[in-house]
Amino acid sequence: MRRPSSRGSAAVAIAAAWLLAMPEAAHAHLVTTGLGPLFDGIMHLAVTPEDLLPVAAISMLVGLRGKEHARAALLTVPVAWVLAGWVGLGRPVEIPLATTFVSFLAFGGLVAADVRLSRAWIVVLAAALGALHGYLNGYEMAVAGLGMTGLIGSAASVFVLMTLASALVVSLEVGWTRIAVRVAGSWVVAVGLLMIGWSLR
Amino acid sequence: MAAYAALAIALPKGVAGHDVRPGYLELREQADGTFAVVWKQPTKSEVPLEVDLVFPAGCRVSGVRQETAADGQVRFHARLTCPEGLTDQTIRLAGLEGLQTDVLVEIHYTNDTKETHLVRPASPSLVVGGAPSVIDRVFAYLGLGMAHIALGVDHLLFVLGLLLIVRDRRTLIKTITSFTVAHSITLGIATLGFASAPTVPLNAVIALSILFLGPEIVRVWRGQTSFTIRHPWVVAFAFGLLHGFGFASGLTSMGLPQSEIPLALLFFNVGVEIGQIVFVLLVLALVRSFRTLEIRWPRWVQAAPGYAVGSLGAMWTIDRVLVLMGLA
Repeated sequence: MRRPSSRGSAAVAIAAAWLLAMPEAAHAHLVTTGLGPLFDGIMHLAVTPEDLLPVAAISMLVGLRGKEHARAALLTVPVAWVLAGWVGLGRPVEIPLATTFVSFLAFGGLVAADVRLSRAWIVVLAAALGALHGYLNGYEMAVAGLGMTGLIGSAASVFVLMTLASALVVSLEVGWTRIAVRVAGSWVVAVGLLMIGWSLR
Repeated sequence: MAAYAALAIALPKGVAGHDVRPGYLELREQADGTFAVVWKQPTKSEVPLEVDLVFPAGCRVSGVRQETAADGQVRFHARLTCPEGLTDQTIRLAGLEGLQTDVLVEIHYTNDTKETHLVRPASPSLVVGGAPSVIDRVFAYLGLGMAHIALGVDHLLFVLGLLLIVRDRRTLIKTITSFTVAHSITLGIATLGFASAPTVPLNAVIALSILFLGPEIVRVWRGQTSFTIRHPWVVAFAFGLLHGFGFASGLTSMGLPQSEIPLALLFFNVGVEIGQIVFVLLVLALVRSFRTLEIRWPRWVQAAPGYAVGSLGAMWTIDRVLVLMGLA
């Protein structure tokens, strides 16, 4: 890993200022399945691209790096998700929707560039993703009245999606299939940029 | 078995098998423009759930009478008079939004046309006007079947128990096919009215079928064998017949008219099968993924699904037998 340059730090500062200036708060995309809070929580991931795509991106990222990285992220993300979500349930504070786009750009970009991160870095990034999106989920569950049951449902979905997606990427052996995964990562970045454009309109 | 019983007693009461029955509202237009109303409230554990019918302003309900059917279900009959008609008016099912069940609404007109609505908690009202197409009804019954299996934790646990016993792909296909064929037979028989099973003993026996798989799973762990382990498809077929009667409750409790039954039966069953296949494929895909990622779970995590099957089966069996004996 290269140390961040001063130009990089400036870019991060500008991005942070832009995010804080974004007027739009995180919106709940909760679907009422009629099957109870657990199922509502499980379905939440499927209908929330702001969560689904970053989770898919980190699954691809760890899948590209191999089994050990995948195993480390597989436990880190859901645990961070539930812990941060629990905080979000208890202290719901609106967070700008644009914060989720950081995940799109960061994780999609890492996949597209096929960056060879160490396992320690993967754990840190997985914890950060779990904490950010888990907190937002906790906030949404609090607003929707789904509580901890809904949060556990969404974390279970994250675990299942990450398990299936990372194992699929790990099992890819033909060269072009790994390139296809990187292309998918660039699409996540593209979607993130589109959403930034949408939020600025 | 003693461990199962102890776990069962320790588990919270909230964890229960699904015996939620959807509600049914029928409005039949009379020659004088009024509507004959039949209302069956949704029930949970045979107890009616609080759902109030809110008819459009200007409509008047009269002649309300209560009737208890042979199966113990309570129906309300009434007459609905709407001077401005019902077309484009909204009927609300107040309280449904807080429940986890649906209400099937059928409106029969004097010109022999009919409109059907499946009202869900997410949108607990309907706008009268225009009979929905066959496609709409097909999707409604498909959704009802999928929701029934998704909420049917007891049915899914039985399938999970079978998956934990089966050792190879050929036996798996045979076993799941046997279960599907068996429950389709009794679902059809019960929905068409050729046979029925009393709910309380049926629920007890379905719970017993899950408990039955618990010791078999332990035998598999120990490398032992039994008739069930050698021929799981036979057990899947036998207990599948019982589970079919359980599935049928999702349809028969609606009191569907004869003309609607073939369509409802076919697509409700297809919905159940889709839900079951999705569950089986998801479990198999997860197991395969764990193997690919070389995840070695601690022994207690590996044993957890088996203990969940056995202990929940024990809990439901005890609970439902107590209900059967009138002790709970």
